[in-house]
Amino acid sequence: MPKVSYPRSSPVLDMTPMVDLAFLLVTFFMLTTKFRADEPVVVDTPSSVSEIKLPDIDIMTITISPDGGCFFNIDGQANREQVLMKMGERYNITFTPSEVKRFTVLTSFGLPIADLKRLLPLDEEGRKKISQKGVPMDSTNNQLSDWIRFSRLQNPQFRIAVKGDRETDYKTVKRVIDILQENKVNKFNLITNLEQTN
Amino acid sequence: MAQLNTEQGGGGKKDGKVKQKKSSTHIDMTPMVDLAFLLLTFFMLTTTFSKPKTMEVNMPVKPDNEEQQQKVAESLTLTVLLGKDDKVVWYQGVDNPTPMITDLSATGLRKTLIQKNSRVFTRAEALRDSLNKGFIKTPDYKKRLGEIKQDKLGLIVLIKSMENANYENLVDVLDEMAVCHIGRYAIVDITPVEIEMIEKI
Repeated sequence: MPKVSYPRSSPVLDMTPMVDLAFLLVTFFMLTTKFRADEPVVVDTPSSVSEIKLPDIDIMTITISPDGGCFFNIDGQANREQVLMKMGERYNITFTPSEVKRFTVLTSFGLPIADLKRLLPLDEEGRKKISQKGVPMDSTNNQLSDWIRFSRLQNPQFRIAVKGDRETDYKTVKRVIDILQENKVNKFNLITNLEQTN
Repeated sequence: MAQLNTEQGGGGKKDGKVKQKKSSTHIDMTPMVDLAFLLLTFFMLTTTFSKPKTMEVNMPVKPDNEEQQQKVAESLTLTVLLGKDDKVVWYQGVDNPTPMITDLSATGLRKTLIQKNSRVFTRAEALRDSLNKGFIKTPDYKKRLGEIKQDKLGLIVLIKSMENANYENLVDVLDEMAVCHIGRYAIVDITPVEIEMIEKI
């Protein structure tokens, strides 16, 4: 090939401001990001005009899946540890220290307490394979009620948030509300999205 | 870019003369920038900005006996029934109700509620106007709005839902309560008479 003489003026562009900006944004996003917790069930919450923000701490979330399963979650590792111990005592199940430790870092779960032992040793992939049908909450085996009661005994500051799917039947929602009322919870929150229009 | 770099690496010794002329103090920032943008994209896509919002619900305390129950004026109560397939029915009073079918759009239930609750609604809207114009401050607004909503002659709404109605409709109706400034409402169990009523209409 014949040699081509390139023009002297270099085509190099000063990228410094762009890089500065990119790193600024990277830093910003790194510091503000809070990773979405890996939930066992994805719910599509209904929208509302309410603009009250959900607090980050002292929150107990009861997620209701479209097929009527109930998932329970509380925040705070110390709380989770204590509540699991008490539930273990109540149902005569002993959890090993490593299982308790695993439980404290989990998010919500929807299993009877007997099955928790099976879930806890698993890694993230294994947990996904176990189908979670919800915490039992019928009148003969009302574990959800016990979870709520022990959690509130552990931390009376807990605010209760109910996160239902759009398609959830009112029947399940009513059952959850009834259980809350049995536990003398008459004030709770419903998690919603902000409505897009108006 | 990448191709150019490999050429430099591979044939660098053969035509070294040409390359030496070009030597400069510039560092090739391309990989760094690539990385920066990769991270930027990653964090932008994984970030959840919109925190979930919540609405507060106060359930009526379940009375231990009949005597504790409050009696309310019939003319002030309006019952909203939620049924299957987004069916919404409302009726006023208790005796000989005339159920009316409606929907959850702005011209449906909301229109009825605003009309029935005009006493409270007009005052609440006037209050909001003065907040928007800056005459009053937000804490003051909230306090006064609370007072207005507790008006003894304001509308009382009873929300009753069939078991096969979906949760979204319930939230929508609760939302209407906020929009129409109804302070006194409750989620109550549906009665067999009302189930019959909603199925017939």
